[in-house]
This record gives sequence, structure tokens and C-alpha cells, in this order.
Amino acid sequence: MFTELNSILNTSPDSFTQGECVLLSDRHSDASFLIHHFLSLYLRARCRVMFLGLVQSFNHYSAISQRLGVSLTQAKEKGQLVFLEGLKESLSVLIPQEAETGSQAMDFLRDPAVGLKSLYEFVRSSAISSGGGEEEADGAEEWGPAVLLVDDLSVLLSLGVSVESVLDFSHYCRATVCSQLQGNVVMLTRCDGVEEEDDGDDEGLERLLKGLTHQCSLSLHVQGLPTGYCRDIHGQVEVCWRRRQGDGQYTQKKLFQYKVNDKGASFFAPGTSSAVL
Amino acid sequence: MLPELLQGTDAGGFLIIQDSASYSGRDLLKCFINAALNREEAVHVLGFEVSEEELKDGLKGSHVQRLHFHNAYTDPLGWTDQPAFTVHQFCLEELTRLVKQTSHSKPATLVIDSLSWILRHHSPPAVCKTLQQLRKGGAVRAIMGLLHADMHQRGTVGSVCHLATSVITVTPGMKGDEAVAKMTKRSKSGKVVQDEEVFSIRNELTVVVQSKSSQHGPKQADPEEQETDPTANLTFNLRLSDTEREAKEKLALPFVFSKEKKTALLHSSPGSGRILYEPDANDDYDQEDPDDDLDV
Repeated sequence: MFTELNSILNTSPDSFTQGECVLLSDRHSDASFLIHHFLSLYLRARCRVMFLGLVQSFNHYSAISQRLGVSLTQAKEKGQLVFLEGLKESLSVLIPQEAETGSQAMDFLRDPAVGLKSLYEFVRSSAISSGGGEEEADGAEEWGPAVLLVDDLSVLLSLGVSVESVLDFSHYCRATVCSQLQGNVVMLTRCDGVEEEDDGDDEGLERLLKGLTHQCSLSLHVQGLPTGYCRDIHGQVEVCWRRRQGDGQYTQKKLFQYKVNDKGASFFAPGTSSAVL
Repeated sequence: MLPELLQGTDAGGFLIIQDSASYSGRDLLKCFINAALNREEAVHVLGFEVSEEELKDGLKGSHVQRLHFHNAYTDPLGWTDQPAFTVHQFCLEELTRLVKQTSHSKPATLVIDSLSWILRHHSPPAVCKTLQQLRKGGAVRAIMGLLHADMHQRGTVGSVCHLATSVITVTPGMKGDEAVAKMTKRSKSGKVVQDEEVFSIRNELTVVVQSKSSQHGPKQADPEEQETDPTANLTFNLRLSDTEREAKEKLALPFVFSKEKKTALLHSSPGSGRILYEPDANDDYDQEDPDDDLDV
């Protein structure tokens, strides 16, 4: 959890807006450090976290979260974290074995044209299972609102799923987790290539990014510096609030530069990096 | 022109608000809904993209009960067992039935949020056909729709907007909460009016038009700008009086080879030396025959 980012977004483990749909995106850069921030933030806030880790193994996230002060293994044991390890599950789909009782979440790999309904069912059942209103066994801890994190959505396009299916999936996740359960959704999508693709939009990644931007309420877009590589500044983040704030303030966009280091990332206004001042 | 459009569309009118990822047109759509509710019209909203709470957020007053929200947000594709309204039900019969369910004396206004959702799941010709049937049908008095122009190909957007009687394209403005609206209105007589305005939306969902400007960004220079006089406003004098200008033009510059100088050099004045030249045999140097022994 990055303290500077918390103050920028006005969140903290004790108070954060509920029902938010956050979109993390990057272009020619890597925004996955933001996923680790949100993961550790919501685990510290004692929320029920569902993590769809489609691109890295569990150990990868575990190791990084350890450096941020959160133990994923412990959270998983306590039932706070539900982790879908996409890489491992996909192996069981591609190489089916007889006595497999794995979840059907990754079934879209068999036939991508079918869509992501089974993945959504997995999300819904994990979100609802020990969420609001059910009488759990004694000793089960009370967790906060449900949070869904997805890392990342653009890889689904490479697996053959259409842009429409991914947008439908994100819509359903938002409807269930944000509106019905008053939780939060954080999704990462990546794209490369030039930004302004005007016509003949068969660049799936661009269209996916635009569709997700329309759906989200807060977007963080990570890019490299327009002037090129810099050792002390790793890139810039554009934070865009798409919904009116409750008290009438209408902050639209803010630009920050960031640097990722061992135990986190620091954010600062453009031109105020400690290496410069 | 924006306040004029807000005041109401004629019967059979079809308004489209086009937006993009950089600026959401939903707030403007809510202003239109608010205006319609204030005019005591019954408004039916087909909500695909946002939930009922989010759409009703900001709409205040008793007239909100005239707003009927048809929930197509929680399950638009029928993935659960009891979907309220799915995108596949977007056809004339279903919509007419939906609108007639809540019977009112006046035909209702139908608001579609958003047309992009429907266009993602139905082919554009089918959508256009349903919209046209709705307009002529009589069950609804006017239709308003939100369209995300950057989600579809230009041809699709063009086809759907062709059906509309008014199209408003919103883009972000210069300052924080301002936006620019480009409007095109087609009246029944065939007259087309276009306009561009800068507006902002107040908290009570009213639109304030800041300026009826067609000013583009500050980066674009004015096309016919007056040539600024560089000799104005100086502490020293750079201007020439008439006599000074004459003298300046008369002056012969030192290294310009004018006709006078040429004649002066060629016809040297008496008293100066004369140069007499007689060609010498050694001076006759032929480049192609330096030893002078070729028999050509």
C-alpha cells in the first residue's frame, strides 16, 4: 500500500469509497505495481478480496505483498482472500485429468466464443458465499465488503475471448460487486500501440480500454515519460475521476510522476522529483 | 441552442447525445431527463449501463415518481434465472408493452442508456429499424439516447445519428467542469441548424451556457491578426521622416557593383597609370595540350 497514492485518491484502510469501479491501464508501461497497492490496501482494510490472478503465479504476488507488509498465505487460510490462480487452473483445462474437481472458471479456454459466463459465476459465488446475511459457523471472522481485483483483462483477448465478452464480464462484475454488494472492483488492462486509432477499430485492446473507461468511476493510466527513459522517474500516472464527487467538487484529471522502489512507489507532482529538487 | 433543446422535442423527436471516453454525456442526459420530468412528462428509462440509484442520483423532487426505471443493468444478458429486462428484448413489441404497463394519459418519453450497449449486441440495421418503428409507433412521444461514439465504427454511429432529429456531441472543455457541445437540429421542414456552445452543469442538474462561442483552444492562432507595428511603444525612435527616407534610398552601398562604379573603373581618370599588355608566348597555356606538341 503506497501512502502517497492513498492521499491522492483520498483512501485509507479505514475509509474508502464503496461501490467504486477502478480501472488501471497502461500503455508501453507496466501498471501492475498498482494492483499490488490495491491488494494490500483492501487486505489491510479487512475486506473480502477475490483476486483473479491470470498472468502470474500465486507466489509472485505473495512475495511482493510480503514486502508491502501483507501475507497472502495467511489471508487465504483465514478465508479473507479467494485467489484464482489462472495459470495453474488453465493447465487442468488444457491437460484434463480424470479425477479433476477444479472450478469451471477457466472453462472459457476450451471454447472462447462461449464467453466468460463461467468466470463470472465463479466471481459471484465467491462474493456471495460468505458475504452479507448468511449465518456462518462460529469463529468465522467478519470481513468487510467484497472487493474484486483482476490482473489482467487484456490477456483474455490473447486467449481468444472477444472484446464484447470481456466488456459483458466486467459489466456483470460491476453490477454484482459494486452495486449489489457495495464493494469495489479494480481491473487492470494493458495496451500498446498508438493511441488515436480512428477508424476501422479492430484493435481489440484499444476498444477494450475505451469500453472499460466508460464503465469505470476512477481510472489510473500509467505511461512512460513523453521525453523518454529516466532513471529516477519511472513514468507518469494520470488519475481521472469520472463521477461527480458528492459535495459538488468536480476534480477531473490530475497528473503525477512516480518512481517504483523496493518497498513501494512514491508519487509526486510533475517536476518535483527528489532527484531534481 | 442548448436551452432550446432542453425545453423539449416535438412529437416523434429523437435526440442523441454522443460522448467519448474523455467526457461522459450521462450528466447532460440527466439534465434532459430532469427537464422532461419538470414538464410533467412520464419518462421511461431503459437502464443498461448504470444502476437505478446512480441514475436517480441528483434528481430531486416529487416528480421523480414519474420516472420509471426499467432495470436492464443487473442482468442484461439473461445469465441469471429471472432477468428483469434483457438486451434481447429490445424490439418494438416488448418496448411498447413495457411503456404501456404504466398507463399515463400522455405518451411517454423513452430514454435509452445507452444505445452503445444495444449496438454491441444487436446489428445496427436491427437497432435502427426498431428505433424508427418506435418513433412512428405512437407508444412513445420522444426518444433520447446516449451513444458512446468511440466504441463503434464511424459508419454505425453515422447510421444511428441519421435517424435522429437532434444530435449533441459533447467534448471536454478548457476548464475543469466546462464542456463543449456541438449541436445539430433537423426540423420537420428540412431545415438544419448547427451550433456550438460551452456549457457547464450545476448540481441541480441544470445547464448553464457559458458562452455561445466557437472559440477553439488557445493554441490555435487567430487567422487574420493585425500586423503589430514593431516600432511602436519603444523608448527610442526607430521611425524615419520623409527626408531621412529619401536620403536613405539615395545612398549607394559600398560593395554593390553599380553601373557608375563600373564605368569609373573601366575609364580610368587621366593621370593614373595605364596598363599595356602584349601577350607572351608563355602565357598561351592550353589545358589540353600543356607541352604544345600534339599534332591536332
